[in-house]
Amino acid sequence: MLRIALKGVLARKTRLFLTSIAVVLGTAFLSGTYIFSDTLNTTFDQLFADIYKNTDGYVRSSQVIDADFGQEERQRIPISTVDLVRKIPGVSGAAGNIQAFARIIGKDGQPLGKDGFGPPTFGASISDYKGELWTISQGALPTKPTEFAMDDINAKKAKFAIGDSVKVVAAGGSRTFTLVGIARHGQARSPGGATFALFDITTASEFLVKAGFIDAVLLQSDGTLSDEALAAKITAVLPPTLNIETLTGAQITQEIQSDVGEGLSFFSTLLTIFSFIALGVGCFVIYNVFSITAAQRQRENALFRAIGASKRQITQAMLIEAVAVGIVGSIVGLFSGVLLAQGLSAVLRVTGVSLPPGSLIFAQRTIVTVLTVGMIVTVVSAILPALRAGKVPPLAAMRSTALDTPGSITRRVLIASAFGISGFGILLAVILGADNALLGLAILLVFIAILIAGPAVARPVSLFIGRPAARLRGITGAMARQNAARNPKRTSRTAAPVLIGVALVMAVTVLASTIRAEISDAFGKQFTGDFSITAESNFFGGFSPSLADDINALPGVQRASGLGVSVAKISISGKDTGKLVTVIDPLTVEGIFDIGLIDTPVTSLTKDGVFVSQKAALKNSLVRGSTVAVTLSDGSLYNLVVQGIYVRDQLAGNYTVSRQLFDETTVSRFDTAIFILKKDGVQDSDLRTSLNAAIKKYGTGELLSKSEYIKKQAAQVNQLLGLIYGLLFLSVIIAIVGIIITLLLSVHERQREIGLLRAVGMTKSQVRTTVRWESVITSLFGALMGILLGLGLGWIVIFSLRDQGIKRFTVPTTGTVVILILSFIVGVIAAAYPAHRATKVDLLDALSMT
Amino acid sequence: MNSPHINTAIAAATSHAVKSYGSGDGAIFALNDVNVEFVSGQFTAIMGPSGSGKSTLMHCIAGLDQLTSGSALIDGVDLSTLSDKELTLMRRERVGFIFQAFNLVPTLSAEENIRLPLLLGNKTGDAEWIKKVIDTVGLSDRLSHRPSELSGGQQQRVAVARALATQPRIIFADEPTGNVDSTTGTEILTFMRRAVDELGQTIVMVTHDPVSAAFADRIIFLADGKIVDEMLEPTAVKVLDRMKSIGS
Repeated sequence: MLRIALKGVLARKTRLFLTSIAVVLGTAFLSGTYIFSDTLNTTFDQLFADIYKNTDGYVRSSQVIDADFGQEERQRIPISTVDLVRKIPGVSGAAGNIQAFARIIGKDGQPLGKDGFGPPTFGASISDYKGELWTISQGALPTKPTEFAMDDINAKKAKFAIGDSVKVVAAGGSRTFTLVGIARHGQARSPGGATFALFDITTASEFLVKAGFIDAVLLQSDGTLSDEALAAKITAVLPPTLNIETLTGAQITQEIQSDVGEGLSFFSTLLTIFSFIALGVGCFVIYNVFSITAAQRQRENALFRAIGASKRQITQAMLIEAVAVGIVGSIVGLFSGVLLAQGLSAVLRVTGVSLPPGSLIFAQRTIVTVLTVGMIVTVVSAILPALRAGKVPPLAAMRSTALDTPGSITRRVLIASAFGISGFGILLAVILGADNALLGLAILLVFIAILIAGPAVARPVSLFIGRPAARLRGITGAMARQNAARNPKRTSRTAAPVLIGVALVMAVTVLASTIRAEISDAFGKQFTGDFSITAESNFFGGFSPSLADDINALPGVQRASGLGVSVAKISISGKDTGKLVTVIDPLTVEGIFDIGLIDTPVTSLTKDGVFVSQKAALKNSLVRGSTVAVTLSDGSLYNLVVQGIYVRDQLAGNYTVSRQLFDETTVSRFDTAIFILKKDGVQDSDLRTSLNAAIKKYGTGELLSKSEYIKKQAAQVNQLLGLIYGLLFLSVIIAIVGIIITLLLSVHERQREIGLLRAVGMTKSQVRTTVRWESVITSLFGALMGILLGLGLGWIVIFSLRDQGIKRFTVPTTGTVVILILSFIVGVIAAAYPAHRATKVDLLDALSMT
Repeated sequence: MNSPHINTAIAAATSHAVKSYGSGDGAIFALNDVNVEFVSGQFTAIMGPSGSGKSTLMHCIAGLDQLTSGSALIDGVDLSTLSDKELTLMRRERVGFIFQAFNLVPTLSAEENIRLPLLLGNKTGDAEWIKKVIDTVGLSDRLSHRPSELSGGQQQRVAVARALATQPRIIFADEPTGNVDSTTGTEILTFMRRAVDELGQTIVMVTHDPVSAAFADRIIFLADGKIVDEMLEPTAVKVLDRMKSIGS
């Protein structure tokens, strides 16, 4: 049987090829993801290992606050620590180190580095210390407060030359420096494309952080002690009041490697998820193809059965074919992944992340996983059709091709209803208070219900969708309509990948448009100013607080108020409850940003006070006068008094403090936005001009009117949406491949009919039209079901977020129309090759078939 | 009643028709210099043993296949001068087909199958003519049925009606009674006879059955790609005798 099966496989090479495309695409995506993320990880690991190769010890504060998104804020140490460390026996050399936020303004007045998804922008220290992380490759070290150096790649990109005057923006404000040197970070001309402005340690301390403070001390050992022993000694010798911890060079290297690795893993996990979605969609295609071929080979299999082959042997033969497809497909996919990984690298380069050249990593894990997954996906998808093929009775050898009837429609509807009802039942339970996690189960049940119901509704729905075809295209349209309806099981199986793809796209779109609406709403209600200046950097850095003061002083400005966030540890009665505080300027914020305070004027917030959201107040039993302990990132602890409670917390979060709180700290604080209220009688255009001039003088910032600002906030969702659409694109391709394969098999099956039609006078163009419309109807069928499922999915996800403040459910009408149009186009594209093959049917061969 | 399309006496003809496969010494001639004319209003049968080239001849005259050399004409038009689209349109409007089996499109009703060539051309045809054709084959009460709901004989009658629906110049039938029992077969042939006698149609039928051939006005005998004999006013017995001598 094995030999016969393999011969069967080779005899139908085209079908083997087509079926394997689905496997190839899915495994290529998976393989590419693994190769890419392995390469990325190794690249960055090597980069940091190289940078810290001369560092034997790393001294820093042990006080740190972990915020979300992998951010951490660490306390800073006094610059005097460097001398203390230098004097310790065993240390051969030491130097201060700073790495903080800074933005370099290019020759065109725009800040360097891309906003949004690009690499971050830094300011750091550089010296002639032997173990320094940066080395000057051109020019000289900056030694004066007016001098600075830049990383190699970005200096070239911005076309800066030694001697140029360049504006740099950081915590200390906006200043112009002279470029005196170009530097490299280890072997790399710049790490990952991030921009770096480098200053001598004193200037860096004053401009980037706070005068007299640094981030860490780098040190080299003279060899008398091991790195670990030296680190322990340093910690013991330094005064405990400094809250110091000392790491060995190896430890700090590993820490940075794993931090970066964590950040990268989010991205690679996302890619892996989408590649599994693509593989899942591929399952349907493989299942469909094997079902069709099983039906078409009924007579052949019946012959085998008549001769004496057992059911099991027939099933085995088909499974062997599945294994063959799985192996071939997975191997091709595995190597195609290399191409994909290169493509992803190219995409990264476009967003500004430049990777040092190196070969792609092809790990053993990649090979084993991809091959195994590819095989399993193929074989599992083929099991049911293989079992069905075995069940064919020997008498079927006499019959001609069977029309796939959906069995008992009533039974199908009953089973589908059972799943659907239990799914909705669980949904109802969650609405009435059951755990949100059950929603996942509800989604699964509803999904299964739709899949089972598919063939039962395929017929009436296809007939409905096909009505315009029949009207517009006469008999050719009518035949296409009938062709889609005559085989409901096949039509619904072919449409399944479209269904899944559309459902995901729809759900994501629903989510996005809801979130956009919520954001617009929240900002619309809370932001009552006329203009805003935004810093365009996500959570990292922003404007120096002095900018808001400068803007406030402009004529034409009634009030300008800066808003920011700061990482802080918040604890109430000893319990940690929060990580972030919003920082406002109570003296200027009135009438500009409304957080909905109850019975308290916003101006009453002092530097010893805190405003608390109603939600947090209820949760922690807080009232006016209660105490909240806030530890800032420099370790300083403040017991703040609750001075007011507010209701609008979507933007402000749970805790809001005054900017005056930070006056005596070493925390570098940034405003993420400045909101401006215009003076009465001043023209918008005049104010714009003076605001733009101030922004230009400072260096960074984007000026937006209130409506522009609100629109922009809402539109941030679009970036993520675009990314998800892109990742789902592969699944769309697989869906198209699925339709192509089904149509080809269908055309092959209907050769006789096509021959007859051609003989009786159907032109080649009319044949193509029939195939095309059948494809379109199938695709639209999948799209319609997918839209319904997607709306349901979206609704369920929004419902699960109701505690997060998301309350509305908007149906994206434009999105739906676009999806329908795209599904129509998908149908047309998929039909191209099968339609062409249909016209190539040899009339005489077809007519002479029995 | 005469079909309005007739303006020449010869509905179809071939001149020095040759159909060969391969080349040189190994060449096989399915048709070897065939010259034949089919007169309007006549029922002609083409007979011969298997491999004689009778099906090939019909396919080439009907525009379903191409000659290697020589010409095939319908209504005086040389088929080799026509593009694929023109050939298709010619088949649609001026030729009717009845095949041995699988004559009908399973997804269309009987009426739609009958009107199929007209529908393909987006035409309504001559309503009176079509009604007459349907009555002639006796299918008025079955028009909305699908082929799967009709008996073999009824299906063939639909095929006959379809062949007549466009008032074609010539109708080609390939073993029309091969798949049905003898009673039904006789029924079909009777309809075809009536089509010629009462409706003025021209029919060319390929068959190997002497009884069927006897319905024709004229029989052409083929052997090894050449016309070897012709018989007018045939009877089943005469045909059987003649076939015996051709076969040896």
